[in-house]
Amino acid sequence: MSAPTADPGTSVSDGRYVYCVVAVEEDESDERDDWSEPNGVDGAEAYLVTSDGVGAVVHRCERTPNPADLSSVKRSLLRHQHVVDAAGEAFGTPLPFRFGTVVEGGDEAVERWLTETADTQRKHLDALSGKWEYRIEVGWDEDALAETVESNDDRLRELAEKLEDSSEGTSYLLQKQYDKRLSDLVYGEREARVSDLVERLDPLIDRMEELGRPSVSLEDDQGSDRQSDDGPTLRVAVFAPKQNEIPIGDVLDDVEADPETTAVQYTGPWPPYTFAPSLGDEGNGNGESTESNADTTDVGPGAGGA
Amino acid sequence: MSSAGPTRTSDSLADVVEMLLDKGIVINADIVVSVGQTELLGIELRAAIASFETAAQYGLQFPEGTNMDRVEAASGRDALPGDENGPLAPVIDAANAGDDESSEGTDDTHDSGAGESSDDETSQTAEEDDADDEETETTEATTESGGDDADG
Repeated sequence: MSAPTADPGTSVSDGRYVYCVVAVEEDESDERDDWSEPNGVDGAEAYLVTSDGVGAVVHRCERTPNPADLSSVKRSLLRHQHVVDAAGEAFGTPLPFRFGTVVEGGDEAVERWLTETADTQRKHLDALSGKWEYRIEVGWDEDALAETVESNDDRLRELAEKLEDSSEGTSYLLQKQYDKRLSDLVYGEREARVSDLVERLDPLIDRMEELGRPSVSLEDDQGSDRQSDDGPTLRVAVFAPKQNEIPIGDVLDDVEADPETTAVQYTGPWPPYTFAPSLGDEGNGNGESTESNADTTDVGPGAGGA
Repeated sequence: MSSAGPTRTSDSLADVVEMLLDKGIVINADIVVSVGQTELLGIELRAAIASFETAAQYGLQFPEGTNMDRVEAASGRDALPGDENGPLAPVIDAANAGDDESSEGTDDTHDSGAGESSDDETSQTAEEDDADDEETETTEATTESGGDDADG
């Protein structure tokens, strides 16, 4: 994706920092126009620019964001999220934009862009309406899984008995066999637990996306809590109706009650960051539509070499 | 988790970082001047959060073409201030540029020239002169323990 990337701190003419797009009922546009949220990124006040039943949450800015240090990055991210949360509370599930999106040309430009894209935006907003993203992480204790498996497998018990009264050479081979079988079974056990969990969640959710390895926590001393060693984990984002929030939590509570489960993280509701459609090519009308592409993260590697 | 509902606690900050920097809609309209340096920011941020080694251990993957000198510099290499109230700002970018002791044996890319090469990123480097001198010596201790286990 060839999105423009002005350097941090670049001056912009009549800039607007864009947080998200929300659905605004046309007949209440007037009163909704008054909506605002102080404490945006850089302490700015966020407000709504509306057109054709959709509204963009923006604040006025003269430069692109340039958080100079880690704590101001933290603050900016949390404030960004705070504004999107507030907008979501007021208008329902928003289309959340990536941190640092800035457009030029003032409210008029935003309004024009909204008008041009209103149909698509409304369609997306309708599809997302009433649903939110939740993030789920479940970890298992490798040793506890191994114990469970050991106590339930006849073959392992047999091998263990043989091991006890065997000579040194034989015991080496038996131990190998034992370890191999154990690790296969633990792997299988973990897979079974994951698929069981996914199966139980399935009726409650619309979509699920694997998140891969965890990123590093900003609270660096909590990193070890979040991720217990290298135990097996399931880490997913799910997109689900708000009313299924508690039922999903119930399923996770069950899982957490298993002694082999080390940790369950269940966060949300979040705006559908992971499940947001791509609006990539609408403004300039070129190229094919990429709307069905839920994930825009596969941006080329170019920026790293800059 | 005592109740069935989801939470948004301090732990969620990690989620916020990941979602805001990696996900979210990127628009590509004429009026857009910036979607932030999210990729770069994300890398520097994460690298700065944990040490370089820890990040690698967590499976942090750098896109092809990433200037590893910068990432290493951004990570502060040796140690970050453990205290989160501490002066974290200076570790972003070129943190070790001025250190000549360069004690890490594995770090062959980080020679004396590496620091200067990132000077083009002046926007990030404004305030980092003061606090990097004191944090260079943590990894050394672990490197010399492997020699004496030759019993057979």
